[in-house]
Amino acid sequence: MAEIQLLQVEKKFGEVHAVKPMDLTVHDGEFVVLLGPSGCGKTTTLRMISGLETTTSGTILLNGRDVTWAHPSERDIAFVFQFFALYSHMTARQNIAFPLQAQGESKETVNQRVAEVSRLLQIEHILDARPGALSGGDQQRVALARALVRRPAAFLMDEPLGALDADFRETMRAEIKRLHIDNQATTVYVTHDQIEAMAMGDRIVVMSAAAVQQVGTPTEIYHDPASLFVARFIGSPGMNLVTGRYHGGQVHLPDCGAYTVPPQWIAPLNTAFGDDGDVILGFRPEAAQVTPQGALSATVYASDLHGSYTMLHLELCDQTIVHVRSSRQSSHPIGTAVQFDLDPAMVRFFDPATEAAIVPEVRA
Amino acid sequence: MTSVKAQAIPTSAERTTRQGRRQVSDRTIAQLFIWPTLILLIAMNVFPLFYSLYLSFNDYSVIANQPPQWVALENYEEILTNGRARYWHNFTVTGRYAALSVGLQILIGFGLAMLLREKFKGSGFITTLILIPMMLSPVVVGLFWKLIFDPSKGFFNYLIYLNPRAGDQWLSDPTLSLWSIVIVDVWMWSPFVMLLVLSGLSAIPNYLYEAAAIDRASAWFQFRRITLPQVMPLLLIAVLFRTIEAFKAFDVVMGLTGGGPGDTTETVAVRLYSEAFLGKFNTGESGALAYIVLIIIIAISNLYIRALNRAGGD
Repeated sequence: MAEIQLLQVEKKFGEVHAVKPMDLTVHDGEFVVLLGPSGCGKTTTLRMISGLETTTSGTILLNGRDVTWAHPSERDIAFVFQFFALYSHMTARQNIAFPLQAQGESKETVNQRVAEVSRLLQIEHILDARPGALSGGDQQRVALARALVRRPAAFLMDEPLGALDADFRETMRAEIKRLHIDNQATTVYVTHDQIEAMAMGDRIVVMSAAAVQQVGTPTEIYHDPASLFVARFIGSPGMNLVTGRYHGGQVHLPDCGAYTVPPQWIAPLNTAFGDDGDVILGFRPEAAQVTPQGALSATVYASDLHGSYTMLHLELCDQTIVHVRSSRQSSHPIGTAVQFDLDPAMVRFFDPATEAAIVPEVRA
Repeated sequence: MTSVKAQAIPTSAERTTRQGRRQVSDRTIAQLFIWPTLILLIAMNVFPLFYSLYLSFNDYSVIANQPPQWVALENYEEILTNGRARYWHNFTVTGRYAALSVGLQILIGFGLAMLLREKFKGSGFITTLILIPMMLSPVVVGLFWKLIFDPSKGFFNYLIYLNPRAGDQWLSDPTLSLWSIVIVDVWMWSPFVMLLVLSGLSAIPNYLYEAAAIDRASAWFQFRRITLPQVMPLLLIAVLFRTIEAFKAFDVVMGLTGGGPGDTTETVAVRLYSEAFLGKFNTGESGALAYIVLIIIIAISNLYIRALNRAGGD
């Protein structure tokens, strides 16, 4: 079991930052997900933790031990690759036994541990097949078994489900989560799939453009995004963001009337903008309710039924489209004018200049 | 509208080509291309193959001005009984030569490939330089190595002995003469093994080594459990090609020692040549010998190919 600490870890390829200096502590037994669009530096970060990539500067500590320049084999970590990286010339059994044999374990230990881990992952029936003959899901199970069999201090997983079919992905997601719960092993997991991140992570590290945008629990990331990037990136669709002008306790939307700011937000907004300034109002689709008494008006632009709910696309007067979740019974024909209101507890504000969220005083 | 146009234009063009094809069909054209090659092959390869098989059952000499006389298996019997001692010597020489030169070529070729595996400045140039011996004509190689080995004029002894005057008579010393042929063959053909192994090495995906580093495999363990098995199919092809070549070893041997001193370097191919063309022109018996060699080479190749399938197959 292990605690991983990154102190000002940085990676440059030439003059380009792959990872800007970042700090991160992964606590013992924690499941941390690095989430971000492709090319944001999440895989590079993971590879630096593993030792497969050198750092440009900064320190990596494993259980307090400086491993910045240690070879991957000296770090006692296991790595699960996106494309499995199984040894193609060996059977599944030989693949799983490889890390044990590399350490010179006795034949009995190897056989016993391989049997144990393949029972755990339910791959006993495919042990004598070569990777090429296995399905993607089974290949990744073998790769997981190879990672588990050594009982490493920490697991690093680089989009392990990225190469799998969609229906397999959900099964494997549950399996990996279950494995984590059973073993309580420190895990760092890289993905670009926010649903996967929300479902699996104890904490999520959102990265973009080589920098950490926000670190927090899935709930924090979803409800209190620290920046416009996180607000847009998390959720499908992302948070609705409407630009307006803050003045006198109200956000004036261009030509659309005004939204009265909930009382708990007036003080923070005053601190941020004084009494007059551009502001971005953010709310999740489920924070809005279409009611005749609603303060905001819009026109129905489109409406899709998602089975259990209807997603309304509403056009505001400045032609911004916002997404609003509504019950599946209600019907709003395209083109009709509707009024909607926002749940005061679920409204967030952003500063358009810094792109950062306005922090309410209670948490500041 | 556009579709009508698009149809109309190719139809007129098609008509002319169709008329042209009506006179000479595709099949005829194909045969016109194939038959000259087939005739050449039949005349130069297939006919001699079967004619020599026929002659191997006859008492016949090309210079004797007498028609072949059917003797059934007598030529084979002669080789396997009365001539056995000397033929057996030829085969052991060939076997020793094949084992030594193929073995050394694999070691040196593999070593060179491992060294040239990582790209560095000038590695492409060095690879090309190493490949030069392979491109030379074997007879030329034989002749100039004869000069290199020459104890008074050649520089081989200068390179390997502190006191070159006390150096060895490489080509005329019965214990060293086979080694000198092995040295030349290794010099010439190790690059071939290197080339095959190099292509095998470059096909090993890097992530296997990343996985192995994570799995805490030592460098030796990685070589033994990943590099070697991954390269094995290509390595076996190299061994197969070089073994077949070694069994046919003729030109370099003739250029260097001519089978001497005595018969110490007389490989099967050299013996075959001297039976068939030197002095005796013993065409029938040499035909029989050639077929025995053919059977042995086919047998060895099949063993290798079986190993190859095992190494590469699922």
